[in-house]
Amino acid sequence: VPERDRDQSIDQWLGHVLSKNARTAAQGVCLDGETIAAWTAGSLRADEAAAVERHVADCDQCQALMAAFVRTTPVAVPATESAWQRWRLGWIVPLATAATAAGIWIALPQRTPAPVSTDQALQTAARESQSVPAAPAAPPVAVEQFSRSSPRLPEAAPAPTMSEARKRADENDFAALSDRRVPAASAPLERAEQARAAAEAAGAGDAANRPAQQFAARLSIAPVEIVAPGGSARWRIINGQSVEWSTSADQRWTPATIDSSSLLSTGMAPSMSVCWIVGRGGAVYLTTDGMRFGRLPFPEVVDLVSVTATDDRTATVASADGRSWVTADRGRSWTLRTAN
Amino acid sequence: MPTWRLPDTAVAPLHKKARAERWEVPVATFALALERSARKAFATPPETRELERYAASLHLEDLALTCACADGHEGAWEHFVREHRPVLYRAADAIDPTGASRELADALYGELFGLVDRGGQRRSLFEYFHGRSSVSTWLRAVLAQRHVDRTRSSRRFEPLPADDASELAKPATQHQAHNTRYIELMREAVTAAVGRLAPKDRLRLGCYYSQELTLAQIGSALGEHEATVSRNLARARREIRSDVERQLRDQKHMSSSQIDECFAVVVDDVGSLDVADLLGSAAGDHALAAGQDRQRKDTAGKRSKERPEGASA
Repeated sequence: VPERDRDQSIDQWLGHVLSKNARTAAQGVCLDGETIAAWTAGSLRADEAAAVERHVADCDQCQALMAAFVRTTPVAVPATESAWQRWRLGWIVPLATAATAAGIWIALPQRTPAPVSTDQALQTAARESQSVPAAPAAPPVAVEQFSRSSPRLPEAAPAPTMSEARKRADENDFAALSDRRVPAASAPLERAEQARAAAEAAGAGDAANRPAQQFAARLSIAPVEIVAPGGSARWRIINGQSVEWSTSADQRWTPATIDSSSLLSTGMAPSMSVCWIVGRGGAVYLTTDGMRFGRLPFPEVVDLVSVTATDDRTATVASADGRSWVTADRGRSWTLRTAN
Repeated sequence: MPTWRLPDTAVAPLHKKARAERWEVPVATFALALERSARKAFATPPETRELERYAASLHLEDLALTCACADGHEGAWEHFVREHRPVLYRAADAIDPTGASRELADALYGELFGLVDRGGQRRSLFEYFHGRSSVSTWLRAVLAQRHVDRTRSSRRFEPLPADDASELAKPATQHQAHNTRYIELMREAVTAAVGRLAPKDRLRLGCYYSQELTLAQIGSALGEHEATVSRNLARARREIRSDVERQLRDQKHMSSSQIDECFAVVVDDVGSLDVADLLGSAAGDHALAAGQDRQRKDTAGKRSKERPEGASA
């Protein structure tokens, strides 16, 4: 038996031995909600925490409680970052800000727009959205902005202020999650471009023009929309977590079935019934009937930020760190693509 | 002599730090809440200095808020509902996206406001908040507990799964008898190997294989980075494998080829580990029924979620 098969065998045995139906013989008193909250908050003394750990390790009921609790927890930003990453990010932010400011200054040297209200900004964007040509049949547009096709944009939730977001994050509130669920690295270029164009159209160059800036901010947290060739079907990712779909026939958004435990970033639809969606932690989902998404195995735990697909078998996904993988057998195997 | 109650001189600054006067919480009420919290945390009354350290480490503002809510302070309730109802609803939706847990969240409000007990006293669920976590974390944990309790009580009415082990005693052919023996040996060896792991390793394995949490979720629960969780899972699995190999070789006196066969009896059928599948239909429909839930999990969930380092794809 090859080494790999022995590992596979152990993997399956563990699934069996540790299954939900397995009878366990835990000692001690089961946890209550207060204790599990204190434990996960790191507030227990070392001896208490060790006792809790010993009990939960063997008690499937307490594990179930812990799992239910964890599922209500916002996905945390990675706790540890290398010094190199901090150094890199520290330089990228001011550099990007300076580059954007310079770009706006060059593009709009004489422009002094009058203040524009939020409604005006939205109307401007709506007019622009009507003038945007439809997606070409081939190659398909991977991601379109929600505002292009949906008249419901004004209903989008306003972006929270930084202090609000920080406060909520401190409280482990999910509200902050909606911000994190659209990681900057995962935003496709089209979205950034469109947000910038809308901001410019609304007069974002004027520092006093807050409604226009708010509108641009709204765009940045709007759902990601995926359009099939010819607009025959559409999917949209809501808050990076759920997916809805709509066909040109019924024009209604219907929740798609997707068992997503990872944040979803983007997707692509090569046909009206096939859609690929990728996200954090090596999440790759595929539907072949438009409605039900299944998760495909992926060899690494990385944040996937783009996907291009030609059919329901062949796709290329890329990670935030610039690597890309190709599959030609519906995700059964992935080949890491080298730089050249 | 150690006591549960903090001296008044120690309670006053904590009362101020908690901004309890905002909700008109009397110092005596706040002192009582601190005492309840200490009783929960310590088996025996600690030294005063340790008690003070403990009290200072609590989420005091949340404790003051819950004291006020338990006493029915209107302003505190308004604040609580405004700040924490969205958290509760989001948690309910996260536990059950179909919205079924929303009613649990709504029912919690009744308990938080307080139910009248036999003595005619109103007892609020807030009395069980001890400030060892933030109130939003506590709310999510209580909701999770209600959800698990409800799921467990609904399962009482479902037929119990058959005992796989008893089904193993019914081999129909020589080949199946062969498989049965290997399955029993492997089950025994894997169970023993898992039992020898450190509690934290068993906990990680349980979270991953039984509760189907992702690496990130396990990491957030145990305060580890998901890469660390991945490494530790992979290490635990390696340890289990070598332990199983050692048991089969040293205790069961199996040859290398027999050990290979033991592992292969499962590898032959990579789809699932249902006893009915392994032994053929003769092993009984009961075992199949018992394994349905697991099979669904295996095929739809675990196989497709992220794998620990070194796991076979």
